[in-house]
Amino acid sequence: MEGTAVAVCEILKYLIIHWKCETANGALLEGQLVISIEALNSKQQENTLHCVTTIASSESIYGGLVYRNFLKEMQSILPGSSAKLNWTSEEVSYSQDISRVTPFQMTFEVDEKPRTLMTDSLVIKNFLRKIVMVHPKIRFNFSVKVNGILSTEIFEAENEPTLNLSNGIALVVNYQHYMSRPKFGTTQSLCSRIHPVLGHPVMLFIPNDVAGVDLLGELILTPAAAVCPCPKISSNQLMNRISSVSIFLYGPSGLPLILPSQEQSITTVFKDTSYFIDWKKYHLCVVPSLDLNLDRDMVLPDVSYQVESSEGDQSQNMDLQGQTLLLILFVDFHSQCPVQQMELWGIHTLLTAHLSTILQESHSAVQDSIQFAVDQALEQHHQAAKVHQKLQTSLSVAVNSIMSIVTGSTSCSFRKICLQALQAADTQEFGTKLHKSFYEVTQHQVLHHCSCEVKQQLHPEKNDTEESTEGAHENSSPELHAGKRDVIPFCSLSLYLKAWGCWVLIRTGTEGTALRDQRQVANKKFKKGSLHQVLEGTWAFPSARAPSPSEPPLRRGEPPAASMTPSGSRADPGNSPEDALWLQEVSNLSEWLSPSP
Amino acid sequence: MAFAPMGPEASFFEVLDQHRASLLAALKRGGGEPAGGGTHLASSSEVLASIEKVIQDVITSLARNEAPAFTIDNRSSWENIKFEDSVGLHMVSHCTTRKIKSDSLKSVKNFALILKILSMIYKLVQSNTYATKRDIYYTDSQLFGNQTVVDSIINDISCMLKVPRRCLHILSTSKGLIAGNLGYIEEDGTKVNCSCATAVAVPSNIQGIRNLITNGKFLLIVEKDATFQRLLDDNFCNKMSPCIMVTGKGVPDLNTRLLVKKLWDTFHIPIFTLVDADPHGIEIMCIYKYGSMSMSFEAHNLTVPAIRWLGLLPSDIKRLNIPKDTLIPLTKRDQMKLDSILKRPYITCQPFWRKEMEIMADSKMKAEIQALTFLSSDYLSRVYLPNKLKFGGWI
Repeated sequence: MEGTAVAVCEILKYLIIHWKCETANGALLEGQLVISIEALNSKQQENTLHCVTTIASSESIYGGLVYRNFLKEMQSILPGSSAKLNWTSEEVSYSQDISRVTPFQMTFEVDEKPRTLMTDSLVIKNFLRKIVMVHPKIRFNFSVKVNGILSTEIFEAENEPTLNLSNGIALVVNYQHYMSRPKFGTTQSLCSRIHPVLGHPVMLFIPNDVAGVDLLGELILTPAAAVCPCPKISSNQLMNRISSVSIFLYGPSGLPLILPSQEQSITTVFKDTSYFIDWKKYHLCVVPSLDLNLDRDMVLPDVSYQVESSEGDQSQNMDLQGQTLLLILFVDFHSQCPVQQMELWGIHTLLTAHLSTILQESHSAVQDSIQFAVDQALEQHHQAAKVHQKLQTSLSVAVNSIMSIVTGSTSCSFRKICLQALQAADTQEFGTKLHKSFYEVTQHQVLHHCSCEVKQQLHPEKNDTEESTEGAHENSSPELHAGKRDVIPFCSLSLYLKAWGCWVLIRTGTEGTALRDQRQVANKKFKKGSLHQVLEGTWAFPSARAPSPSEPPLRRGEPPAASMTPSGSRADPGNSPEDALWLQEVSNLSEWLSPSP
Repeated sequence: MAFAPMGPEASFFEVLDQHRASLLAALKRGGGEPAGGGTHLASSSEVLASIEKVIQDVITSLARNEAPAFTIDNRSSWENIKFEDSVGLHMVSHCTTRKIKSDSLKSVKNFALILKILSMIYKLVQSNTYATKRDIYYTDSQLFGNQTVVDSIINDISCMLKVPRRCLHILSTSKGLIAGNLGYIEEDGTKVNCSCATAVAVPSNIQGIRNLITNGKFLLIVEKDATFQRLLDDNFCNKMSPCIMVTGKGVPDLNTRLLVKKLWDTFHIPIFTLVDADPHGIEIMCIYKYGSMSMSFEAHNLTVPAIRWLGLLPSDIKRLNIPKDTLIPLTKRDQMKLDSILKRPYITCQPFWRKEMEIMADSKMKAEIQALTFLSSDYLSRVYLPNKLKFGGWI
C-alpha cells in the first residue's frame, strides 16, 4: 500500500479521534466526510499520475483541531517530500445564527503509478467500510477522478440495523456487509442480520519491554462473535457448515487497527490459528486464508481463516460457500480522567505496533474470552441448525402426507377444492405451493429471535430509545467492563435481562443516582411491555416477528403460563401491539426452555 | 352347533337365572342400551370423507397464510370425564381441547405425525386392508420414535374424527383368550368353536365377527392367564357348562373388552370377574366394568356396567380362613392405588365394593387367587366358584 492510501487512512483516523474527543461520551459520531482524489497524468514523469487528495468536512468540531500537532503527526506518515499538505479552514459567521460553522479541508499531493492508485482506492474503500461498520452515522463520500473520468461511492449505514456497544460505537449487524451472496441455490434470506455474542471484557497488560508507554487508564479487549449469515436462512444443509473465519480488529474510538496489504506485526499472533481458539472442539480444521483480493463489495477482514473438514469429509463441496464465523475484537481505552486526543492517538500507534505482543501478554484471559464468545456463537449456530432440521423434517412429512391423500383421493370435488385453494394447476404445482405455504407460515418460529422483524416497530420509538441509550453510555465506567463475564445468549430471557443489565444499564456495586434513574426508566419500559424499545438501544434483541400492518397477527391461543417481566406482574394481553409482542416473546422463549416432545 | 351336555343340573343355575332376569328388567327400565355417544361406527366412505375434510381445513388455512392446527380433545384429563352408572366413565360433550400447531417448534413434529398417520389410515381404508398399531410404528420407527407416540396419535385421531379405531382399519393386537360355550364366524368366514380343550385367541376384528351363538349361563372374566389355564386344566367350562370364560391376561386389550361388550350386547348373560384380592385386580375389574380414562371417548362401545365381582373378595379371605402366611402385605404402591380407586366416582354407587376395599385397606393385606390352593389344589374350580355361582356370592 502506497502513500495516498496510508495518508488518507491516517488522516481519517486522526480526524475521527479528534471528533470522538469533541463529542459527548457515549454518543455516536454523526456527520459527513468527503474524500476526493483527482489524478492527472504527470507532466514530469512517464506513466505516473499526479494525485491531489482532498479531505473535507463541514463538522464544526474540527474548528478545535490544532494544525501544528496535526502536521507533526502526519509528517511522519506522509510519503516524503513529494507530499504537500495544505490546510484550509474558513470561518463563516451567520448574522442570525450565533453558532460558528467552520468547514474543514485539507489536501495533499502525491505522484503515483496508476496501478498503485487503483490499489490505494480499494484500500481506502475497505477502510471506509470498516469505519462505517462501527460508526454507522458517519457518511463518507469518496470520489476518484482520473484524467476526467469520475467515479463516486458513498459509504454509510445510517438506516441499517445496529448493535449499540459501549463508548459511542455501534456494530452494523446487516450480514450483507460481511460476506458476498451465497453462490448457489435460490436460498431466500429470511434473516438479514448477524447476531453477535459478546465475550467478557478483558484487561490487556502491556509488556514491560514495550517502551514509551505511560497510560493513565486501561486497555480493554471485548470480543464479539457471530455466525454469518444467520443460521436460519438456509434450506440447504451445506450452508449450515462453517467454511471460513473472519477476524476484525478495532482500536479505541472504533477505528480499524490495521490496513490490508500492509506488512504488520499486529497479525503475527493470529498466524497460529489455534492460539486463541481451540478449533478441535468444534471438529473444525482451520488454516490461514491467502485470499488477497481487495476488490470485493464487502468489508474485508483483517485476518481470515479457511475451514477444512478435520474428518476429511469428501461430501462437503469446498466450492460451495458455507457460513462465516465473524470474530470482531474491540480494543478500547478507559480512563477515569477525560482522554486527550494525543493520548488516544498514541494508544493507536502503540496498538498498531505492538498488538500481537500485548495480546500474547494476556493470552490466557484473551483466549478465555474469545473462546467463550465463539462457543456461544457456534452453539447458537448448532441449535439453530437443529431447530431448522427439525422443522424441515416435520414440514416434509406433513407435505408428503397431504400429497398422498390428495393424489390418492378418488373424490374429484375434494381434489379440485384443494388445488383451487392453493391456485395450483396440477398436483405437481400443488405440491410445490403446499411446501412453500408451509414454509412461509412456519418461518416466523425460526426467526423469533431475529431482530429484523422488530425493525418496523422500533423505528417510531427510536428517539426514546436513543435517549435512554445515551443516558446509559454517559455513565459507562471502566470497572463495569473489566472482568465481567456476561454474554447474552439467545435462549433465555432471564439471561438476556441479567447480561444486558450488567453490561449497559444496570450496574452492580457502585450505583449512582443517574444510573438508578436509568434503571427505573428501563424497568418502566419493561412494565409497559415494550421490551424491544429498551433493548434496541443497547442490543439487537432477538425477538419474534412483530405483525406488520399488512400481515395477519400471529396467533397465540392462550397467554403464556408465566410472565417474565422483571416487575413480576403479568402483562395484560392484547391491549397494545407492544403487549402482544411481549407476550409472544415470552411464549416463544418458554418454548425454547421447555424440552420438545 | 351342539355343545357337550356336561355340567350341573338346571337347578344349579336358579340364582343365576334370577340374576339374569333382573339384569334384563333393569335394561328394559333403562330404555335399552344407552345411546352411543362419542364415537360411532362409520362406513369406509364416511371415514375417507372425514379425513378429506381435515386435509381441506389444513389447506384452507395455508391458503389464508395461517398456520394450520389440529384441535384435539384432552382425552386424559379428569375434568373432561364424567361417570354415569349406565355407561361408566365417558367424555363430557363439551370438553377442553388443546391445539397441535404447525407453527410451534414444540408441536410441529406431532402435527406432522398426525398427518402421516392420517395418510396411512386413508390408504388402509381405501384398500380395505388392516394394520395393527405395531405395524404402523414399524413403517417408520425412526420417525415415530416409540410405540407410545403412535398409540397416542391413533387415539387422538379416533377422538378427533369421532370414529372408533377399528373403523380406521387399525387393529389392536389381541392377547386375550376365550373358552367355553361359544361359537362364531369370523369376517373371513372362519368358523370358531371355543369349546375345544384349548382356549381360542380373541379375534382381531371383533366388529367383523357374526353368527355368535351360545347357551352359556354366564361369562367369567378371569384376570390372570395362570388362573385361566388352571381352570381349563380343571375342565371348569365343562363342569360348569354351559358357560364362557375369557381372560385379558392382566390389563385387557381393546379387542378383549370389545368382545366382552359384544357378548353382553348380544346375549345379556351375567358377567362375573375373578380377580386377585388386590388393588391391581380391582382396577382391572373396573376397566371392564366402567372403562378407562384413556379410552373414555369410546366408553359406550367398551364398558359393561352390569359386571359383578365374583371373587376373590377380601371378605372371603377371613370367611374361608385362608392361612395368613399365604397373604401378602400391601405395598406403598398398592396403598396409593387403593386410595385412588376409592376416590373414583363410580365407587360411590358400589357400597359393597367399597366395603370390600375398606376391609383390604384395614387389614393391609392382599391375596392372590392362588392362595385358595392352600385349602386344596382344586378348591377354586371344585368348591369356591361353584358355591359362589350357585348361591349368588357376587357383588
